[in-house]
Amino acid sequence: MDPILSFKNVGFRYDRSWAMRNLNLDIRPGELWGILGPNGSGKSTLLSVADGILAPQEGQVLLENIPMSSFTRLALAGKVAMVAQESYFRFSFSTLEVVLMGRFPHLKRFQFEGKKDIEVAFKALEATDCLEIAQRSIHELSGGEKQRVLIARALAQEPTIILLDESTSFLDLRYKKEIFDLIFSLTRERGVSVLVVSHDIDLSAQYCDRMVMLKGGRIHSTGVPADVITVSNIESVYGCQVIVDKNPAKGSPRVSLV
Amino acid sequence: MNQMTLKNIKRPLSPVRVAYVSLILCLFLVLTMVFSLLLGTAEVRPDQLWRLFTGEPGVEKAVSLIVFKIRLPRIILAGIVGFSLSIGGLVFQALLRNPLADPFILGVSSGSAFGAVLGIILGLSYNLGIPFMSFAGALLTIYLILTVGRRKMGMESSTILLTGVIINAFFTAIIMFFIATATDDRLHSILFWLYGDLSQSNYSESALVAPIMLAAFVILYGFSRHLNLITAGEETAVQLGVDVERAKLICFLIVSLMVGLVVSFSGLIGFVGLIIPHLGRMVFGSDHRLLMPVSALGGAAFLVAADTLARTVISPGEVPVGVITAFIGAPFFIYLLKTRGSRWTRS
Repeated sequence: MDPILSFKNVGFRYDRSWAMRNLNLDIRPGELWGILGPNGSGKSTLLSVADGILAPQEGQVLLENIPMSSFTRLALAGKVAMVAQESYFRFSFSTLEVVLMGRFPHLKRFQFEGKKDIEVAFKALEATDCLEIAQRSIHELSGGEKQRVLIARALAQEPTIILLDESTSFLDLRYKKEIFDLIFSLTRERGVSVLVVSHDIDLSAQYCDRMVMLKGGRIHSTGVPADVITVSNIESVYGCQVIVDKNPAKGSPRVSLV
Repeated sequence: MNQMTLKNIKRPLSPVRVAYVSLILCLFLVLTMVFSLLLGTAEVRPDQLWRLFTGEPGVEKAVSLIVFKIRLPRIILAGIVGFSLSIGGLVFQALLRNPLADPFILGVSSGSAFGAVLGIILGLSYNLGIPFMSFAGALLTIYLILTVGRRKMGMESSTILLTGVIINAFFTAIIMFFIATATDDRLHSILFWLYGDLSQSNYSESALVAPIMLAAFVILYGFSRHLNLITAGEETAVQLGVDVERAKLICFLIVSLMVGLVVSFSGLIGFVGLIIPHLGRMVFGSDHRLLMPVSALGGAAFLVAADTLARTVISPGEVPVGVITAFIGAPFFIYLLKTRGSRWTRS
């Protein structure tokens, strides 16, 4: 299958030093990717480039085999959705209003949300367990609830690619699992490709098809979780001693600090 | 529990609701205008007013003159000014993600004031010369903001704000210099202008300005969903498909032109652009598709009422309408800060 998103020798720098360089990556439809790496290794930069927010100075990113730079912002928003680490709302919107914001790329100027948009928003609210809080103000929600609302908004965009930037950090164990279950089913049932940046190595390893481990803006290793999460990789990238064994339930790699 | 189902899920805002709310506010505005026509130093009775507007004979010439030549043009101008300043405040608050922004925050108004004061010093006419000078001052300021405040990264809110503060300070200094050197009769005119004054109004001004403001409103309304997203964060807005730089540039420009134009006829009338959008948000939520007509019509009604007070409280004398709006606006604003301040100061 043709990759839906591919990085061809991509380099990006904010100022003089490269935040990301020589990056080659092929994401296929329906794949769930985990992006690992220590702080400052270029994970968020990678997501921003994948979202078309940052334009690389070297190489190029292809979305559906078309250079990303040739898409308008509006067209990109209909294809790629980003769930940020956190979001602050200055003015009070209801949960439903926030989720309906995800319909922006599908509406024309002066157009109001119609039946289909409401239906999509409803399904997104249902999938993220947000129906009960649909009428509440975003200001009254807890960190975890807000995060789920942002994920619901990304679903309402009906994208083919979803990028999650540590979106599960604020969630408790149950919601972490539910969000991972949800994105896993999106990849399987709707063929959505998902890139997840997470510091939760074990959890990502349970769900991801493939992983990338970044170090200093370059790919240190990539492949299936069992190939990426190894003692030597983690020691050289994170600089700490670990034991890697198998998760007794799923058989995916499990990391324990020594 | 109010568990939702696909059947009972109600969309937060429909075009019908926007039309319905706008219609009610329109009626409210007309009612305010009628009251304003009745109030004043000279007595105008409701039955006289009724006969004047239905064209029935039997009303004295003097009453007709007061209604059509003195009060009505002033009321119409007040409505247009309130409409524009309130929309300006609403849009700036959204663009700068700052609920304390008002339409004068970029310093466009101080440029207008500089032009107008220069016009008064030069002894130009109130009908043409002073508005012209004032609008030229506003255009000069807009040019300065766009060249100084806009960097290659685009229009960053804090840079824009800072540019506004500096431009404000500079023009205020020049105005103070003019005031220090002005003769007594000019001084009175300058001070009245600076506090906002609607007494120099006529139909031709309104006929010129009204269609421009309506066109500006329609263009801005086309950006109302963009503004919703921008208030949720510029980065979020970009991710959801808004061309933020373009939207900001167009909205900044249109509002600045609106404010510059309106100020050139009315002087600096504060607080309208601050309190009306806030009242709108308290009652109707944060969706700009509804807030735009609400602010525009509410601002119009508010300024008509405030100007009625301005010409009646010390009748037969007058106070500048800006004094009235500040008198009402400042306490209201303190109340807002006390009750909602904590949320605003977080970033």
